[in-house]
Amino acid sequence: MLSFLFRKENRLMELIFKYVETLGRCRESFAEAMQGCVLHEEICQDFEFYLKQTHKHESRADDLREEINDLMYGDTLIPDSRGDIVELLQELDKIPHVFEIVLHMIQTQKLRLPGFLLPDIKELIRISLECCDLVISQVSAFFKKDAGLRALSNTIDTNESHCDHMERKIITGLFESGLDPFQKILIRDLVAQIGRISDQADRVSKFINILSMKRRV
Amino acid sequence: MLSLAGAIFLGWSLGANDAANVFGTAVSSRMIRFGTAAAVASVFVVLGAAVSGRFGIETLKGLTSMNLDQAVVVSVAAAATVTLMTVLGLPVSTSQAVVGAIVGIGLLNGRLNLAGLGKVGACWLGTPVGGALCAIMIYRFLGYWYNRAPVNIFQADQILRWSMLVAGAYGAYALGANNVANVTAVFVGAGLLDTMQAALIGGFAIALGVITFSRPVMETVGNKLVRLDPFSALVVVLAQAVTVHLYTCVGVPVSTSQAVIGAVLGIGLVKGMNTVSAGTLKHILLAWFISPAVSCCLALAIDFGIHLRYVPGP
Repeated sequence: MLSFLFRKENRLMELIFKYVETLGRCRESFAEAMQGCVLHEEICQDFEFYLKQTHKHESRADDLREEINDLMYGDTLIPDSRGDIVELLQELDKIPHVFEIVLHMIQTQKLRLPGFLLPDIKELIRISLECCDLVISQVSAFFKKDAGLRALSNTIDTNESHCDHMERKIITGLFESGLDPFQKILIRDLVAQIGRISDQADRVSKFINILSMKRRV
Repeated sequence: MLSLAGAIFLGWSLGANDAANVFGTAVSSRMIRFGTAAAVASVFVVLGAAVSGRFGIETLKGLTSMNLDQAVVVSVAAAATVTLMTVLGLPVSTSQAVVGAIVGIGLLNGRLNLAGLGKVGACWLGTPVGGALCAIMIYRFLGYWYNRAPVNIFQADQILRWSMLVAGAYGAYALGANNVANVTAVFVGAGLLDTMQAALIGGFAIALGVITFSRPVMETVGNKLVRLDPFSALVVVLAQAVTVHLYTCVGVPVSTSQAVIGAVLGIGLVKGMNTVSAGTLKHILLAWFISPAVSCCLALAIDFGIHLRYVPGP
C-alpha cells in the first residue's frame, strides 16, 4: 500500500536478492565442476565450461555488489545499516571467490586427486556446499526478517566443525601416503582452500547473528 | 526596534545552539540533510512559539515588573552571559540566564514573585529527571512495537528516518513554544509588545539562528554526544520534545540541552550502560548555579552602569 515510500528500498532489496541468487548459481557451477568432473579418476571435458560459468557468476555477483553499494550510498538506508550491509556482502562475496580459486588451482596446477582420498574430499565438498546453502538461506531470512536465524547458525557451526575435522583427516591421510611430496603439498593447499568455504560461511553466519541482535531494541 | 536588538540576538543564538538538540544526531549521522532539518525546524519553531509560546511568556512576565529600560538590560545581560559562557567553554542555559537577569532586576526593584521563582527552580531540577523518565517509557513502548513490526530491515530503516523527521519537527515545535519566552517575555512585561507579537518576533529570531548558524553546532554537538544507535537517537529526540512540551504546558522555560542529557541517561538506564559521564552531570549542576548567578550580576552591573550620571563638582 505504501510502496511508493519505499521505492529505493524495494529496489535495493531486489538487487540484494539478485545477488544472493547469483551466489546460488555460482555455487551450482562449482558443485557441477567438482562433483561432476573433479571427483573422479579423470577430469571430465565439461570442467572448463563449469569453470567459465563459475567465473561468470562470480563477476556478475561483483557487479551487483557495486550496484548495491552505489544505490546505498545514493541516500538509501541510514548510515549505520549501510555500513553493516556493505560489510555483510563483502564477507559473503569471499565465498564465490574461494570457489573460483579452487577451480583455478585444479586447472592451472593440473591437479589429479588420488583415489584413496576421493570419498573424504567428496564428503568435505558436500558439507562445504551445504554450509553455503545454509548461509544463503540465512542471508535471505535476515533481509526478510524471518525467524530461525539462530537455528541456521547453529547448523552451520556444526558443519564447519565437521569440515575442520574432515580437513585434518584428509591432510593426515595424505601425508601418510606414498605420494610424491610435491604432489602432497599441492593437494594439501587445495584441501585447505576447500576448507575455507565452510570457515567463511561460518564467519558470515556469526556476523548475521550479530547484526540481527544489533537491530533488536 | 533597537530595544529588541538584544532579544533578537539572544533568540538567534538560542536557535543556533539549541536546534542541535533536536536535529543534531540526525544531521551529524547523515540520516537527515541539514537543509531539510533547518527548514522543518524553522517552520515548527515559529509555529510552536505562535501557538503555545504564551504560557512561558506569562510566567516570566509575572516574575517581576519592570520598565522598558530594565527589559533591555535583562535581554542584554542574558545574551552577554550566554556568549561569555560559550566563549569560556562553561556550561550555560539560556532559560537560566534569562531568569537570573530577571531576578537581578527584581532584586533591584524590590519586587520578586517568589512563588513563581520556586516553580521555575523546581522545573529546572525536574528537566533532566523528566527527560530520563520519558526516555525510559518511550523506549520501552516503541521498542515493543519496533521488534514486532512486520517490516523488513529496509522498510524499518525508512520508517526510522521519517520518524526522526517527525520527532525533530515536534522537538522544534516544543523548543519554539518553550524557549520563546526567554527571548521576548520581558518586553511583554515592559509593555512594548503584546503576547502574540512577542511570540512571533521571538519565534522568527530563533528560526533565524537555526537557518543561519546551526549547521556547525549540529555537526559538532551531534558528534560530541554519546554514539547512539538510530532507534535510541529517535527516542532521545522524542523524550526531549515531550519533556520540554510538558514544561511548556506548565509555563516554565527549561533547558533543552538538559532534557537531552536526561534522555540519554534514561537510555543508558534501560540498556544497562553508562551513557552519561559524571563530568556531564557536574556540568548540569554547574549550569544551574553559574548561568543565573553570572546573568544576575551582569544585569545588576549593566543597570548600575546605565544609571551612572556625571555630576559636576562645585
